[in-house]
Amino acid sequence: MIPDWKLERFLTGDLPEEEMNKLRELEANDAVFANRVKMLREDNKAILSKLPFETLAERIADATDVAGEGRANLGTVTETAGTAAKNAARFTLVKFAAAAMFVFAVALVAFFAQRETSVMNERVGSDVANVNGSQNTQVALAEIQSDTRIKGLEARMEVWKKTSAGIVQLNDLDSVGEGDEIQLRYAVPEKCFGLLFSMDGNGALTLHMGDGVKAVELAPGKMNSLPFAYKLDDAPYFEKFFFVTSPKEFAVEENDVDKLLKRSDVKVIGFTLKKAGK
Amino acid sequence: MVYRRCLQLLRDDAEACDLMQDVFLRIYSASERLDMESPSSLLWNTATRLCLNRIRDKRRRGLDVDSSSLLLSIACAEDEHDDYETKNVLAKLFSKEPESSRTMAVLHFVDGMTLEETAREVGLSVSGVRKRLRGLQAKVKTLEVQ
Repeated sequence: MIPDWKLERFLTGDLPEEEMNKLRELEANDAVFANRVKMLREDNKAILSKLPFETLAERIADATDVAGEGRANLGTVTETAGTAAKNAARFTLVKFAAAAMFVFAVALVAFFAQRETSVMNERVGSDVANVNGSQNTQVALAEIQSDTRIKGLEARMEVWKKTSAGIVQLNDLDSVGEGDEIQLRYAVPEKCFGLLFSMDGNGALTLHMGDGVKAVELAPGKMNSLPFAYKLDDAPYFEKFFFVTSPKEFAVEENDVDKLLKRSDVKVIGFTLKKAGK
Repeated sequence: MVYRRCLQLLRDDAEACDLMQDVFLRIYSASERLDMESPSSLLWNTATRLCLNRIRDKRRRGLDVDSSSLLLSIACAEDEHDDYETKNVLAKLFSKEPESSRTMAVLHFVDGMTLEETAREVGLSVSGVRKRLRGLQAKVKTLEVQ
């Protein structure tokens, strides 16, 4: 019987690869083990619901006395030097807490990755506008909704890749290949308008999130996954993703992306993936 | 994982919640020296150690402790390697100093890790773990080191 501690490590993906593969196989073929895994995953969700991340962050903030009066000002635009310092400390705190909660996050990703298999190919959707004739295809993946919130931080975008071993988060300038399935996630710290698109090595623009070419209104707080993954085509060199936000409505011109990116009233987060072997 | 670990050792929901937050707080306090090479091990072992301390403290204060006799005996064992509170515990932990013998004992005797797994978990050699457990065994007669 697989001991509890090993099961926990399996859920967090923190076992040697050989053991991970062995347990994955066991999960696929052993109903009893699969049920234990399932129960633990459900327990994870229940615990996160009962003891949300924010509560933990608040507790740590209280204990380390970095929040103080700054808490009320968190996320506000007008910061005095004093509150800015406190918020900076809190920022560090939240970053740490987020890292510490990574273990849970991995478990959740693994959970959703499993769900993805069952819904794959069932939901080839139309949410993602395919502009300019790109050959990229849309692949349905389950939503990856995390309760992790990033209040007080900058807008951010995460890029994940589905592999046979699960879903892994990519870093800027990581290499990918044709056929890789990419899942995009984003979060914003305050209400704003946002647009998420990418450009490949052929110069083809693909909109991943938006009302056509117009930015859509985004709610602050938790990380959001786009409802569909993105399967890379054979375009060479790179795939660059842009997450553009602004307090005001805006749109992108398909033939002049630079014009948008150079605007002073938008914030741009870029993320580049290198195409392997190209 | 951390909550479940605390609940497993303390058998009390409220205490487990409290300890779970302590685990993150302790780690945060030493975040500059944090080694996230194996976050699961770090969280698991920190939770184990804090739970052992809680059990021992309760026992010393004469409070009821709902723990197995094995866990209780490990928690209350004297461990010269475990004077962490006065010797900057986290500095030792994060600089890869060996874990306390009591924690190793829980990993091996309670969690059922093999000596090899325990050694990997705490960053010691198998013989090093065996030696430490035998040292603890002298104080906890019910432990049988393989």
